[in-house]
Amino acid sequence: MCSVSTPTDPHSTIPDRLASAGGLKKGVARGLSRDTGLHEADIYGVGSFYHLLARPEKRVRVCGGLSCQLAGSREILSACQAAGLPTEEISCLAACDRPPAVLRDRRTLPMVTIQDAERSGGKVEDLCSNGSESVWCGTIGPQDAAAETLCLNLSAEPDWSGSAFKAAGTMGSSALFDLIEESGLQGRGGAGFPAHIKWRAVADQAEQERYIVLNADEGEPGTFKDREILLRRPDLVLEGLAIAAAATGSSEVYLYLRGEFEVPGGVLAEAIQATTKAGRFPGITFHMHAGQGAYICGEETAMLEALEGKRGMPRLKPPFPVEVGLWGKPTLIHNVETIACIPGIVLQGGTWFKDLGRTEAGSKLYCISGHVQNPGTYELPLGVSLDELVAAAGGYVGTLKAFSPGGASSGFLPASERGRALDFKGLGAIGSMLGSAGVVVLNDTINMRWAAEEQLRFFEEESCGQCAPCRIGTHYLHAAVKRGEEKSLGLTHVADVAWQMNEGSICGLGQAAALPLTSALKYFPEDFA
Amino acid sequence: MSAMKQTLVLDGRKIELQQGDTILDAASRTNTSIPTLCHDPRLKPVGACRTCLIEVEGSRRLLPACATPATEGMVIHTKNERVDRHRRTLLGLYLTDHNPDRHYGLGGAPNQLVAMAHEVGAPTDWGQLPSKRKASSEDDNPYILFDPEQCIACARCTRYCDEVESVSAITLAGRGSETTISTNDGLSLLDTTCEMCGGCIDTCPTGAMTERKAAEMQAPPERDLKQVRSTCNFCGVGCQLDLHVDEAANDGRGRIIKVTSPPVGTTTNDGNLCVKGRFAYDFVDHNERLTTPLVRDKAGVLQPATWEEALAATSLGLAGVSERHGKNSLAFVSSSRCTVEENYLVQKLARQGYGTNNVHQCAAT
Amino acid sequence: MTNSIREIREADFLLVIGSNTSEAHPIIAMEMKRAVRRGATLVVVDPRAVWMTTIAEHHLQIKPGSDVWLLNSMAQVIIAEGLVAEEFVAEQTENFEAVQAAVKDYTPEKAEAFTGVAPDLLRKIARQYAQTAKAGIYYTLGITEHSHGTDNVYALANLVLMTGHLGQRASGMNPLRGQNNVQGANDAGATPTYYPGYQRVDDPEVQARYESAWSCELDPKPGLNLNEMMLTMGEGIKGIFVMGEDIVLSEPNANHLEEALAGVEFIAIQEPFPNETMRFANVVLPSTVFAEKDGVFTNSERRVQRVRQAVKPPGEARQDWRILCEIARAAGINWDYDSPAEIYDEMASLAPNFSGISHNRLDDVQADGMTGIQWPCPTSDHPGTVYLHGDGVMRGKGLFQAVSYRPPMEVPDEDYGLFLSTGRTLYHYNAATQTRRETGPVAKHPEAFVEIHPRDAQQRGIEAGDRVRVSSRRGHIDVVAIVSRQVRPGCIWTPLHYAEARANLLTNDEGDPVTGTAEFKVCAAEVTRLGEGKKLATTFRGNYYSTTGPGA
Repeated sequence: MCSVSTPTDPHSTIPDRLASAGGLKKGVARGLSRDTGLHEADIYGVGSFYHLLARPEKRVRVCGGLSCQLAGSREILSACQAAGLPTEEISCLAACDRPPAVLRDRRTLPMVTIQDAERSGGKVEDLCSNGSESVWCGTIGPQDAAAETLCLNLSAEPDWSGSAFKAAGTMGSSALFDLIEESGLQGRGGAGFPAHIKWRAVADQAEQERYIVLNADEGEPGTFKDREILLRRPDLVLEGLAIAAAATGSSEVYLYLRGEFEVPGGVLAEAIQATTKAGRFPGITFHMHAGQGAYICGEETAMLEALEGKRGMPRLKPPFPVEVGLWGKPTLIHNVETIACIPGIVLQGGTWFKDLGRTEAGSKLYCISGHVQNPGTYELPLGVSLDELVAAAGGYVGTLKAFSPGGASSGFLPASERGRALDFKGLGAIGSMLGSAGVVVLNDTINMRWAAEEQLRFFEEESCGQCAPCRIGTHYLHAAVKRGEEKSLGLTHVADVAWQMNEGSICGLGQAAALPLTSALKYFPEDFA
Repeated sequence: MSAMKQTLVLDGRKIELQQGDTILDAASRTNTSIPTLCHDPRLKPVGACRTCLIEVEGSRRLLPACATPATEGMVIHTKNERVDRHRRTLLGLYLTDHNPDRHYGLGGAPNQLVAMAHEVGAPTDWGQLPSKRKASSEDDNPYILFDPEQCIACARCTRYCDEVESVSAITLAGRGSETTISTNDGLSLLDTTCEMCGGCIDTCPTGAMTERKAAEMQAPPERDLKQVRSTCNFCGVGCQLDLHVDEAANDGRGRIIKVTSPPVGTTTNDGNLCVKGRFAYDFVDHNERLTTPLVRDKAGVLQPATWEEALAATSLGLAGVSERHGKNSLAFVSSSRCTVEENYLVQKLARQGYGTNNVHQCAAT
Repeated sequence: MTNSIREIREADFLLVIGSNTSEAHPIIAMEMKRAVRRGATLVVVDPRAVWMTTIAEHHLQIKPGSDVWLLNSMAQVIIAEGLVAEEFVAEQTENFEAVQAAVKDYTPEKAEAFTGVAPDLLRKIARQYAQTAKAGIYYTLGITEHSHGTDNVYALANLVLMTGHLGQRASGMNPLRGQNNVQGANDAGATPTYYPGYQRVDDPEVQARYESAWSCELDPKPGLNLNEMMLTMGEGIKGIFVMGEDIVLSEPNANHLEEALAGVEFIAIQEPFPNETMRFANVVLPSTVFAEKDGVFTNSERRVQRVRQAVKPPGEARQDWRILCEIARAAGINWDYDSPAEIYDEMASLAPNFSGISHNRLDDVQADGMTGIQWPCPTSDHPGTVYLHGDGVMRGKGLFQAVSYRPPMEVPDEDYGLFLSTGRTLYHYNAATQTRRETGPVAKHPEAFVEIHPRDAQQRGIEAGDRVRVSSRRGHIDVVAIVSRQVRPGCIWTPLHYAEARANLLTNDEGDPVTGTAEFKVCAAEVTRLGEGKKLATTFRGNYYSTTGPGA
């Protein structure tokens, strides 16, 4: 009813309550309405937005991301259905390095085989990855890197000493902001925005109630680095958040993890419990919040809506979250990787961090999957080329045809760009982007019209539907590029539609969603002949 | 307080700002037309339909005029090549997801989207997408019809239901191209908190929400109906109504096809109506209407009579009582349902005609 | 109303008392919702958890008939805590001392026993009301339809006067009119005491003016009010003419009235639809509905607005003004009006409040961009009056009226153990002659019902959907039981719309000594289950009236 919600508003509990009720089954919204006093239609609207809630009868979801498809996920989908499992396809599960991945309830199973599906005998509980799914991590590298060249150093043991938090406290906010500025740290969620500007902006607000939000809604197809950080170095994440909170004058930290991150979420929850028990970061409270299945909630303002328990539809910007964020208060939002860089910067210095990079500041986690020998997460100087990255990952499989440098949103680049530095500025200059550095490699067995169609299918499914350019544009482009079933719209108007989507969409999803198709048309016209 | 007047420049003209102005507010005061679809002055702006995007110098992206605060020194362009291309391509895109065969519903209001697309010269040759929006199949409510193929998901209806009527019976449901309008569990509106005020119909810019009765009557479109402004006959708020009448129907007696509210800001009801005002007009044509005078016969049965007979009987009856028992043995009850003029005549009849002050209207509230 | 409907959205504090606003006045409720959304504080006083309580900051679920205790106690707090608007009281009112003395002992602590409202909460609300500049009071029949209805109104007015909440936007005292033209009918002189424009029949100057205008002699003695007419029906009253009203359905204690009508020698009714009173009528004159006629209605905020003909009357039905002219002519008076506009002009010429208004003028958009004119409007260039008392209290000085608590005429006892209250629903209107001919309202509320609290239902072995008999000392009706927490324990509620289950067979026709309004809102009644397991045949759709609805 009330237009301004607060942390105590029952609305923020709606996604969790729906999840506890087993999803949006008939009658559930009415029951929750009686429990909370909220309108039943509002609750229904929220539930219907999130795919983990909207179709509760589906308990097995096979990843439809490009890397999983290259590993035969469609066959797994058929096998699961044939085995009598209640199965549907789902957008990228952030397990591109262990394809094909399957989500069983909230648990991501890696490298599922047709035999696994058959062995389940149609019982959801019995579906597993050859008996070894319980806890798994991906490959990390490079193997031979010296610790002092790595800011995150995923192979190291967690450090719970809290020394960075203490050091930051001693330093004081102003010096810390200078240090972060000196480090050149850019947001690693996709936009590459200088971190220090956001920190200062939040600290400078007149409003004293402020929040810190961790964006761990890792959903960009091809990206899984945050999963590795959460599994291996939760210390860096919590300490980075604690430093941010103390420096910007906030005490409440909200961690938004995608709903499919049951295992990383468990690791993080355990770490929070231990940290709180040990009193490592006095005065700071961590609140875990599980997403319920919506790629768009990785967009920072959609995430705020989701945290407030609403449909995850992005807000208009301005105002930006640093001014009007969670529950209308100034909010600092960072991606997992960005925040995990903070302890290293505090302990080893801004210049040290900056010099870890090649063309831009810092070391960077690159995810690589698709047609490469050893898919995984590699911490390398920011600005390496594709060839260098693939070399670290054991080399190509087959002959390179195309690659996505930063997830679906970055479109496709031709093999001729294999030597280009993979950084924010350089890729932006050629109409692509580094984004979340989820690099997907495609070899010459792939038809690019098919690849573009798959990416458009993803965007159509994951568009929030709020604004017309994106809602209709993704539908239009997907239908236009699709062959077979429907009468083709043709590709005549793709350029105009893409222009409109880029110009008219509210958020980055719609602004970028045409790129897979327009870039494929540009670089691989022969595949559309 | 002598604060300097704040100004901005809109299409080369300097405009003075008022407290709380959006760009759209400022523009509309100068009669600069900026197209809008999801905007309704009764609702909080959401900037979702994107039709009102304009260029503000210094901003990389086009900005929604409805939701962007107007600030000192802004330089705004509401018409230039970029903005015009935006409008054309946006509306062209809308048309691909809009059923072209239903641009004018039965008895329905003109479709603002189609008119706007025509006005800006939007392309019409981009093809048609199969609509992925669905409507509930269970909705047996008698008044409100939702056609998902006309819907543009601008959420005016759901926001109205929440922000104005505060019942939130309907919501945006689903996601992406399947985004639609729904009740909880797709229930019939009758089974929800809906109070059938019909505000969703009033605010809908495309006729996706429309009057079911008009549609079922196979009525002509709104533009072919006579529109009569009147005052609601139910409660004491005095809402203004526009009665849309098919003059030829009912053998020339005329038939009310639907009732709408005058535009926002022009009457006390400010664009709003309730279930009775908007939908309860079937009684006008009800077959139980009294259509002939009746006079009770010797056997005590009411029998049809001519007006002459009935009027004579009335006059005789009242005069007889007055003569037998005195002027104040008569009582006149008038009605708060009738007009001022009719009440005036009843009291005048009692006082002037029959010499009694025993006259009272039926409700003392 | 002292304020206009458009001002409600500006209010910062709204005290809604005895008004089921969202059902009886949905559009006014929308304005209130708008104010609440803006941040205004809404306090609802009602024995029943009406919809508005779902958005209210506080719901004072008082015991029926305890309004005077509540209001006097609020006055006591305002005086005791020094929150009186001294300047306003000194300059613009008189008789404050009497109220001061009368409310001295109405402490919140003592009030609690009568009202059930916690003393701290009552204090908080009294303070908030007194200290908020834009604070308005809104009430309807829940205040007036009591044997002490006038006392209730005085007690409210005392609060308004002592806090100076008058003569400003969004701050005043606002009775919400239940029917489209209650205001207009009163304005037009359809009252036993006044000629058009509230000019007393016993004022010789006024009498002379009307005698001259109408060329006749007029009775200087006020006539009987409606309640008095009904009470003397068949004895003093021997002939009755009824236009547009079903007195048998709508008047209290219908059994008594039906017996009394047998003693009436002549009854004529002028009606568009058959109704209950028709059973007793000697002559039935078929008339028209609003869509078939021209004229004006005057709404709750004194706004005079046009009614325009949209369709033609069916069959031989005639417009009411034409029928009345015919009756006058048959009685030998020569009325030769050509149109309702001409009738209005005559009235305006005889009533200074309306002198500036005419149909012609009402056809134009007014200076404020709106349609209609709010009277007083004395001249043709006067813009009308948005809120009353803007230039000081109209009668010169606002008169405080000391009131003290009197219990309702009838309270529950061993035989009739429950408080019965009656009222309206959103979907039907008065006797429902119109709305029960509409599909939507019938789908939502197909039949008469009684709301009973789960505790009381359990004690009587009643389950939701059972057919039950509601009885009082005057009669009984058979309805469906809705087990609901909307009502207080010990209270039941039934709507007044249903001819086959007329709530006024139960209610008490003894009324307020001043206005003659009957005590529809409180009487003693009992509920018993009928038959074996006979469940509701039709369903009430939508979850609003569910057992776990508001107030659960």
